Amino acid sequence: MLRRDFVRLIAASSFAARFQTPSALPKLRAVSAYQSAPTPGMPGPYPGRVVSVRSDKCIDTATGAANDEVVREMMARGMRELTGARTTRQAWQRFFEPSDMVGLKVNCGGYPHCVSAYEIVAEIVRQLTGLGIPATQIYVYERFQNQLDEVNYAPHLPQSIQLVAAERANRNVDNAGYDPAVYLEADLFGEDDTRSNMMRLVSQRLTKIINIPNMKDHGATGVTGCLKNIAYGSFSNVARTHQGGKSHTYSIVGTLAAIEPLRSRTVLQIMDGLRGVWHGGPFARTRAYVFYPRQIIFGTDPVAIDRLLLDIIEQERRAHGAISIWDRSPASLKVDDGRARDADPNVNIIIREPGHVEFASKLGLGTYDLARINLQNVSL
Amino acid sequence: MKSLLLFALCVYSSDGGSTATLEAAGITRLCAESDLSSREPLPIPGITARANLASPTRIPWIVANGWRFTRNPGGKYVYDLPVGRAELAAAEAHAYGADAAVKIDPSDAGLLGAMLTFLEGLPAANLPVIADLAIVDDGSAVTGEVMNLLARRNLLYQIVTASSPRSPITITIGSPQYPREEAADPSAFALKIRRQLTDDQRTLRVFGSETVICRLTGDERQTRLHLINYGGRDIEGLRIRVRGSYSSGAFHVVGVGRVPLQDHVIESGTTEFSVPRLTTYAVVDLARTAP
Repeated sequence: MLRRDFVRLIAASSFAARFQTPSALPKLRAVSAYQSAPTPGMPGPYPGRVVSVRSDKCIDTATGAANDEVVREMMARGMRELTGARTTRQAWQRFFEPSDMVGLKVNCGGYPHCVSAYEIVAEIVRQLTGLGIPATQIYVYERFQNQLDEVNYAPHLPQSIQLVAAERANRNVDNAGYDPAVYLEADLFGEDDTRSNMMRLVSQRLTKIINIPNMKDHGATGVTGCLKNIAYGSFSNVARTHQGGKSHTYSIVGTLAAIEPLRSRTVLQIMDGLRGVWHGGPFARTRAYVFYPRQIIFGTDPVAIDRLLLDIIEQERRAHGAISIWDRSPASLKVDDGRARDADPNVNIIIREPGHVEFASKLGLGTYDLARINLQNVSL
Repeated sequence: MKSLLLFALCVYSSDGGSTATLEAAGITRLCAESDLSSREPLPIPGITARANLASPTRIPWIVANGWRFTRNPGGKYVYDLPVGRAELAAAEAHAYGADAAVKIDPSDAGLLGAMLTFLEGLPAANLPVIADLAIVDDGSAVTGEVMNLLARRNLLYQIVTASSPRSPITITIGSPQYPREEAADPSAFALKIRRQLTDDQRTLRVFGSETVICRLTGDERQTRLHLINYGGRDIEGLRIRVRGSYSSGAFHVVGVGRVPLQDHVIESGTTEFSVPRLTTYAVVDLARTAP
């Protein structure tokens, strides 16, 4: 079988030359035979447009429990405001039809305190099945089965919903769930395995994807929002991008998100901001760093949403007297010392790369300039 | 046709009364304790944790003996193995055609017997080694460790006595190009060699694991690839890239049997395929595409 490759040498572009991080960008080679859709899902039909729906009643901050009814109302309002549709059903119809195979990219890494909320995931499934999409055509997915098992969405969803992971756990032995023909090749630190492959579910089965990230700090990327969740949650062997204090996430997050068919098929971003994590992310093993933005953000432009997220996390860290997500000081760095980082919000274990959001904008994934982001705030 | 049995393996059980157990497992080449003393003892193959060197990539530290067999192919070796390592030791010795005795715990007799049956059932193939590099072996510990790290990174080398015009890179430790001080950090040294060779020019690449070490042999008609999994866990979907066009082939995987190549692609002078499931050991036989 012969394969046509679409190869991009990111580092060779003129863009790379004028957008340098403190160290040179690695050479990246993206390989995929998939063509871009006429209007790729990212940034989609609403570039630069973001709707944030906030309600003080959406979560009980004492217990951390969400209010299902309020969440439904927030979801309905957000989808209508984003699309301008008169009814919630019409809003969802702008994106989906009964023949679609729809993937819901959840985030389970922040278990137990900050994962894609059951209430949001269940409401999305309810809307999709309401459009006539059979539950068997809806896939809730993550990379690791053990994380999906911990979060356990099943009791909250119709029985025939598919819960799919590519690997049993983060052990680098399960590759069968990844597409050998769609990958990013890069030699970052001299590692032997230089490929990160796209999940077969994404490349071979799904027609549409809804991205459901959380609002979280991240030790290597600054924040983990839309871009990081869809990119690092759909490709194998990505932990290799950050080690020994150095993070190559600056260029790799956006590059992965831009690889087809992921870029074209990710048509909707619903950021779960009921809860958030302002330090220690992407994990949330303690409530010490959990906060409650009490909002859900809607859009099709992952860059615009993540640009706002940078400020949300930065503001929360500032409120707690923590160092900035943009801090690159060697004095803050305790390389690979996760224990120190967990104990002290003024410790970095890697120099973070929040600039990955702007980098993604240069790849055409969305709008970074705040002046060009049309944010609509809705309060319920 | 059965295997030519390029390796010689005999088994000694630490439990003196277990000959019947070994024979029941199909292990018939037994050796006496007196046979073991003259042999060169080998480290226990497998992976070891390096707690003080943890990193997000969690690259494991592999203990492998292929480089020792390559360095001294006429040697006689002995493994003294804890429970659970007999299969791996047998696979390693077989892949390199080594003369090795294995001292095992009797509880491993069943798995080892199955491995030996698998090895004996492999199609015959007595093929020369394929290498991208040459290394002049001065017999030093430093050069040995460089060979170890080259093997662990699947940088295919052969040992030569002097610079070889057939190899684009000949490593002579202590030469101006490859100073001994550089070789003192064999991991960094192996990376330097890899960058010199370039990944595109490597005859073999392995994707999807960093615990698999390969040995590649072949001629103008066929190629045999040995895959030894040191990680202790089965690997699914291991991806292999071999330079050259191979239109057909088959895996022989211990514990699985004979399976066809999966996701097989020939493109731009290279062949790629996936191994559906790699247990401890597999042999891949590839037939070259007719010109």
